[in-house]
Amino acid sequence: MTRDWWKHLVLILGAIIVLAPFYMMVSYSFKSPGEIDRGEGGFFGRQEQMIDPRCIALRQPGRADIEAARTRFLGQDDASVQASLLAETEAACSMRPVVFNYSKAFTEAPLVRYLLNGVAVTLSIFLIQSVVALPAAYALAKLNFWGRDAVFGLVLFCLLIPVHAIALPLYIGLAKLGLTNTYAALVVPWTISVFGIFLMRQFFMTVPDDLIDAARMDGMSELTIVWRVMLPTAIPALLAFAIFSVVAHWNDYFWPRIVVTGNRDLFTPPLGLREFKGDGDGSFFGPMMATATVIVTPLIVAFLLAQRRFIEGITLSGMK
Amino acid sequence: MSDLHIASVTKHFGETSVLKGVTLDVKDGEFISLVGPSGCGKSTLLRIIAGLETPTSGTIAIGGAEVTQLRAADRNLSMVFQSYALYPHLTVAENIAVPLQMRQMTALQRLPVLGGILPGARTHKDDIAQAVRHAAEMLEIAALLDRKPGQLSGGQRQRVALGRALVRDPAAFLLDEPLSNLDAKLRVQTRAEIAELHRRLKATFIYVTHDQVEAMTMSDRIAVMMGGEILQCAAPDVIYEDPDDIRVAEFIGSPKINVLPLERNGSALMLFDQVLNSHLSTESPKVMQMGLRPEALQLTQSKPHLTGRVVHLENLGSEVFAQVALDSNGSRVTLRAMPAQRHRLGLGAQVGLSFDLSAAIIFDAGGARLRHVEGAVTCAPEVA
Repeated sequence: MTRDWWKHLVLILGAIIVLAPFYMMVSYSFKSPGEIDRGEGGFFGRQEQMIDPRCIALRQPGRADIEAARTRFLGQDDASVQASLLAETEAACSMRPVVFNYSKAFTEAPLVRYLLNGVAVTLSIFLIQSVVALPAAYALAKLNFWGRDAVFGLVLFCLLIPVHAIALPLYIGLAKLGLTNTYAALVVPWTISVFGIFLMRQFFMTVPDDLIDAARMDGMSELTIVWRVMLPTAIPALLAFAIFSVVAHWNDYFWPRIVVTGNRDLFTPPLGLREFKGDGDGSFFGPMMATATVIVTPLIVAFLLAQRRFIEGITLSGMK
Repeated sequence: MSDLHIASVTKHFGETSVLKGVTLDVKDGEFISLVGPSGCGKSTLLRIIAGLETPTSGTIAIGGAEVTQLRAADRNLSMVFQSYALYPHLTVAENIAVPLQMRQMTALQRLPVLGGILPGARTHKDDIAQAVRHAAEMLEIAALLDRKPGQLSGGQRQRVALGRALVRDPAAFLLDEPLSNLDAKLRVQTRAEIAELHRRLKATFIYVTHDQVEAMTMSDRIAVMMGGEILQCAAPDVIYEDPDDIRVAEFIGSPKINVLPLERNGSALMLFDQVLNSHLSTESPKVMQMGLRPEALQLTQSKPHLTGRVVHLENLGSEVFAQVALDSNGSRVTLRAMPAQRHRLGLGAQVGLSFDLSAAIIFDAGGARLRHVEGAVTCAPEVA
């Protein structure tokens, strides 16, 4: 223990560096705008009642309101009726900062819709990636055919191509097909994952040949073997791949930003964050951070729930 | 169930030739062992019969129909693998049911949810469950049907693998060293059970093993393979007593057969300057080898053929094996003696050995059997 203290020190420093932005994000999502600007209030802020200036601006009592309210405030002149009405509006528009931030997150933009979009897009991508990668990996790992090594070489080569290098041709292709601003544009470019093929191929190499021969003797076709024998034994590896795939595409800002230009119905969660970027009336950091918290929560919850399987999958030791 | 014909099958992996023209006929209901040292091509031959490998040349026929180009799935053969190769994600019952599901149900019926509501699925499922139960009872694994393979011992997995093979009615059973992952005691027990299973099913069994004891105890016939060829295919007692080739004689039998050099001097047959027989035809080769089983050697005090010193002793209780370093050339021979003779076999003791020439098996320098020499030696009266 005493000799290992420096390891822990390094790990703690690393953890602080990784966790600091999350700390800021969650903390900001609790605080009022004033507290954020002044940098005070600790982690939770003071949670004092605050008044939403926009709410007030929208509910300024007019002539008609005063006339309508006259019956409630009998024997008062217009000015005092207006003052009473203003006080009522302020009471209605005042709330705790945390409620303000999170309600803004969901009301200012259709965040639920964005989240559903995110789920649909990431799950479709992962599903199609698996449908492509599993048979391809099986063929590369277990079947002997002419040019197999060359094909595997191409797979490795494709791993080296950065997404951003081919973004423009991909975009032009999609645009010519008239697919920009569709779900297809968000999903189709990612359906063939060479990383997935590579990962599953490496895993399938460890599956004993006898198991596949036994399946053949039992009367299975090659595709049946993929779905009925290889897939069930590859669940840990597939989970590892699922982490990479889902995390990458859930958090992706770059590609949705390119192919979804106008239609807000197609926004994925990260695009939703843009709704709170500073316009003329200043940035809404509180609601923005609340949105960010809502976006990352599903991933963190999923990770905590499946932590064991995830780590098993990453180390690929789940077999046997 | 049907007979099996393998006609001049060869197999090359790149430059290396694994099978060099193997021809073998297996009769319906026969238990044949393919036995040989590792790398002799016996597993490759079995995989070619199974359809898991295609031969470079030659043909395979099952029941008169040629199947050389047929997929493994369409050959109606069952195979038991050395590693058992059970599906780790399925229970024992599901494992045994797989071959039936694949053959009796359509792809639609096999679908997880939809399959259950299709017409006929119910009766299919009941039939399969019935067959699985029957197979499990035959192998005494009915209590394990709900377990996963990971929860079973080696012997139990072995039985499940057997169950998966015999649940349908295949033309032949192919077994690839099925006992080699079991411990010694279980191996003896399972050996007897497989032999009994063969008698009960009256099916064709092709059994690959490198263990000659398994081959000797279970088979109707043994095919001894070496270097990609079948050296001899015959009943176990013939293989043991009447081998065609010195490699067969050396491979079968434990401890190994003793091989001593023979020479022909004129018409005299010589063993270490000692005339064994003098009625040899002068056409016989000059240099020969003589194989003597350990039980063919006897301890003797008068007129020993061989003398030597005991250098190693193995007492098995019912018998004693002694290694004797010969005085003539220092080579070692193994002698099987009765426990009663042990007092004469102390380490370092000088002993004399004799043998009956009719028990000797004579080969030429290349290892081929010389039956005519043996005939001449044993028929003519010895005059030495």
